[in-house]
Amino acid sequence: MSAPEASVQVSFKNRAKTALADRTLKIAIDRTTGTAEAKRAVAVAAFPEFQAARARGRAIKDHVIAHLDHYLEQFERNATASGATVHWASDDAEARAIITRICLDAKAKLVTRSKSMLGEEIGLPHALADAGIERVETDLAEHIIQLAGEAPSHIVWPAMHRTREQVAELFKIAHHPPPSADDPATMVQSARRELRAKFLGADIGISGSNFLVADTGATCTVTNEGNAELTTTPPRIHIVTAGIEKIVPTTAHALSLLRLLVRSATGGELTQYTTFHCGPKRPGDADGPEEMHIVLVDNGRTRMLDNEFREMLRCIRCGACMNHCVVYRQIGGHAYGGTYPGPMGSVLTPVLNGLAGSRDLPNACTMNGRCAEVCPVEIPIPTLLRAWRIRSWREKLEPGSLRVGIGIWAVLARRPGLYGLASRVGVRALRLFGKGGWIARLPLAGGWTAHRDLPRPAGRTFMEQYRAQQAHKGSRP
Amino acid sequence: MTARDRILSAIRAALPQERPAPDAISAEANALLADPDTSRPRLVAEGLLDAFILKAEAIGTTIDRVGGMEAVPDAVRRYLSGHGLSLSLAVEPAPALTALDWTGLDTGTTLAPDQPAALGKALWGIAESGSMIVHSGADTPILLSFLPLHHIVVLQESDILSHLEDYAAQLAERPHPRNAILITGPSGTTDIEGSYVRGAHGPGFLRVILVASTD
Ligand code: SF4
Repeated sequence: MSAPEASVQVSFKNRAKTALADRTLKIAIDRTTGTAEAKRAVAVAAFPEFQAARARGRAIKDHVIAHLDHYLEQFERNATASGATVHWASDDAEARAIITRICLDAKAKLVTRSKSMLGEEIGLPHALADAGIERVETDLAEHIIQLAGEAPSHIVWPAMHRTREQVAELFKIAHHPPPSADDPATMVQSARRELRAKFLGADIGISGSNFLVADTGATCTVTNEGNAELTTTPPRIHIVTAGIEKIVPTTAHALSLLRLLVRSATGGELTQYTTFHCGPKRPGDADGPEEMHIVLVDNGRTRMLDNEFREMLRCIRCGACMNHCVVYRQIGGHAYGGTYPGPMGSVLTPVLNGLAGSRDLPNACTMNGRCAEVCPVEIPIPTLLRAWRIRSWREKLEPGSLRVGIGIWAVLARRPGLYGLASRVGVRALRLFGKGGWIARLPLAGGWTAHRDLPRPAGRTFMEQYRAQQAHKGSRP
Repeated sequence: MTARDRILSAIRAALPQERPAPDAISAEANALLADPDTSRPRLVAEGLLDAFILKAEAIGTTIDRVGGMEAVPDAVRRYLSGHGLSLSLAVEPAPALTALDWTGLDTGTTLAPDQPAALGKALWGIAESGSMIVHSGADTPILLSFLPLHHIVVLQESDILSHLEDYAAQLAERPHPRNAILITGPSGTTDIEGSYVRGAHGPGFLRVILVASTD
């Protein structure tokens, strides 16, 4: 293992440690994930057919993935017929190059952007900056993190790591005039005022896509704010970036998945605005862009088709898995270090960035299974995380000390006699470190004892006590 | 090899060699939508109209009911005065709206930056979710649904559909517009600490004028 990779390993642990010590962060995470969890529960309880809808959603995604080439070609034909230009990008660099080329050819100075995690995945914000193009994020949360110079910490609420007080600080500096108070309503009004001129003055609007509809060639955006339509309508050019797994056969399939997506994400039934964008402005249309470009991005997705991670391609990016994750709720999204945080991110980041640098992510999971329980398309996330652990072991990515430790355990575990002996010695030795009922410090176990004490074990192993008790029982009449 | 070829051949290499014909794939896709009632929400009231009203009001849309199109200008006036707004608004250039008698109201087809309201027409309503549908077109500028603070929408009671699938079927029957939009309540955001605030970028107020069926 090379040195840089070791530093990434260290930095996940360091990031998590910093996050754990940040009390403001914990308050911010609890406020949003707590509300999200409660609202989702209400929405699901009010929809007794949810389980059946989930099975259907899963089947739709599996069907599309099994015929992905067919649907992509059908989508391309129909999108082209609607007047859009379809581009294909194998990886993030190709996608960035296509988009910056379109912007530069159009001599664009100002680009508005409606939130898209794929845009983050391919590094679009940096690419636009490098090309000297002003980028304005229009989703309120993205606007907040753009002002803060940060990456999203959640796929649905990118600014959820910030409290209202922290948002107020940012707006006071950036908004002219600054908001008059720091309650959310006043701050939202302030952002509305601030961004209005940008919407109308942009040369290009860039959006993501929640669904690509194969039989119409339309791409679908969902927002609660209405910023997607304000981003994509006034400028001369609309660019869509979409992962190739976003495809669905028809509008009806998209709407059926939408029922799952919104309930799982925010606990609403539908987002306020669900828009199907099909090609550029038509002759006679009252408004709309003159050009529409759709960039279909692979970036690792085809590599997941024939291995144990294929089921992850069903993901509809609802964020429920992170809202319900005990680890995410302690450390927040930034500690994960990738574009996608939480359970789904721990599956995807090794695909996108390589396992060597991100093997700590699948390990930072308690396997409590909450993510899989709430996932609207039934992705067995713990199973996929375990698959990464197995790969990590096979590829010998664990540090030497861990491999030696587990190796010793494996030798013992296969030999019951030796195992019994070792545990008898072990429990007695452990007692030497304890004071009162607890062990506060133990060589090689600082990772545990730094944050909590270990109960001092009983002086005998379970098997010793069990035998003694059986013998005692046997002696009774 | 182009990126397109690389992606498609990577997919083909990963999927089984024997593949069904396109017709068989479509049939399979359609079968996935069979028996929709087993996996969609039931309506919250018996009739489409009652269900639509209940759902729309639950998400913050307000409703006025009138007996015919000729009563729409009065309903608009009522709404604007009720909110203390000036009697001035942008009206979508659709003949059904522009042909009405707007005497006493200052109307135009574009929205001035300080104008707080715009009036448009929805093609359908959806009882399942209280949504309304707007399609872009020559007489339907999309921005009129997004720029004003107050969005007023005229909807015929007879155009209320039951479920999302019923709208998908309507859409499939006609040429797809540039934008097909489902509007479900006023614009809102929960981006600051998850607390709900209305009027993020789009309209903070959504008013539906339901027009009774004439037959
Ligand atoms: S893995 Fe499931 S729960 Fe997590 S974001 Fe994707 S669809 Fe939602």
